[in-house]
Amino acid sequence: MTFGVLAIWVVALAALALCARRSPVVARRAVVDAGSALWRVLPVMLMALPMAALLAELIPAGWAEDWLGPDSGMVGVVLASLAGGLLPGGPFVAFPLVLGFLKAGAGPAQMVALISGWAILGMHRTLAWELPILGGRFIVLRLVASFALPVLAGLSAELLLPLFPGIPLR
Amino acid sequence: MLRRNATFLVISALTLAAAFAVWWLRGMGAVRHALGATWDLILTVLPSILGGLLLSAALRQLVPPGALARWMGAESGLRGLLVATAAGMVMPGGPVAAFPVVLVLAQAGADRGALIAFVLAWSLNGFQRIVVWELPILGPDFALLRLICGLPLPILAGLIARWLPIRWTPADAPGMRPSGKTGP
Repeated sequence: MTFGVLAIWVVALAALALCARRSPVVARRAVVDAGSALWRVLPVMLMALPMAALLAELIPAGWAEDWLGPDSGMVGVVLASLAGGLLPGGPFVAFPLVLGFLKAGAGPAQMVALISGWAILGMHRTLAWELPILGGRFIVLRLVASFALPVLAGLSAELLLPLFPGIPLR
Repeated sequence: MLRRNATFLVISALTLAAAFAVWWLRGMGAVRHALGATWDLILTVLPSILGGLLLSAALRQLVPPGALARWMGAESGLRGLLVATAAGMVMPGGPVAAFPVVLVLAQAGADRGALIAFVLAWSLNGFQRIVVWELPILGPDFALLRLICGLPLPILAGLIARWLPIRWTPADAPGMRPSGKTGP
């Protein structure tokens, strides 16, 4: 059990205790809500989880180091931002893929751009959730306001990278 | 309900197609290798997911989203964007929870800049996602670098959205229905 898991459980139980202090009904509603959310999330997740590993098997060896390596600079940052926007699924797909890319020799700044592109441009989430709830006009406003930001994140990461000696460069 | 099943079917079809492609191009050993990696991943993240869902549900009981909205109106200036960014970061849960909250905030008076800042802060720097996924999988150094680079972006996007001549009102959202009525 890592520190992150422990932290989230401590905070979750503290929040649940606050609910219980308000009223046992509120606490029970929180637990029931969490259970029904798990029931809704789990089937999709269990089907989506193998996708990251399978895609990782399909991505040609050397792709990450050839195109998104530490020396790929601005071009790599732009490519990574776009690739991030096309990355399917939730965090359980994206982060393991990024770990795979880093191990295969992709540059950290390019991976910052990739994660930012995934979070900001993510086609899958935009089409599956944002469009039905908020409508096309909101998506246009949001994308026009933010399409360049993943590149900005990648470039700032490039500048800040010397301050993070703990991140291995291959 | 329909959308949920559609999502499940699309994801399942994509995963099966990927499995078939791996089997076709790389052989059965590669499929088995991928499934083994998946199993390890499930064991790693399941405790975080259970804790994260509980945290999300408990916070939703404690924090009424409408209470934040009066801080995020069109006249709220930079402070409104900062508040929206902070709210987006502590917003737990996936897109199922976050986008409906955008509607609630909009109805309660948040302007488009604040809404964009909220959505971006949630999707880019959501605290729960960082703790549950990014930190355990990619490690603290990379997660910190990524967070520092992402921190100013929601405010920037909010400023751009306020400056852009694209107007958006809650009435433009398909998900917005008068309370108590179910739309066609």
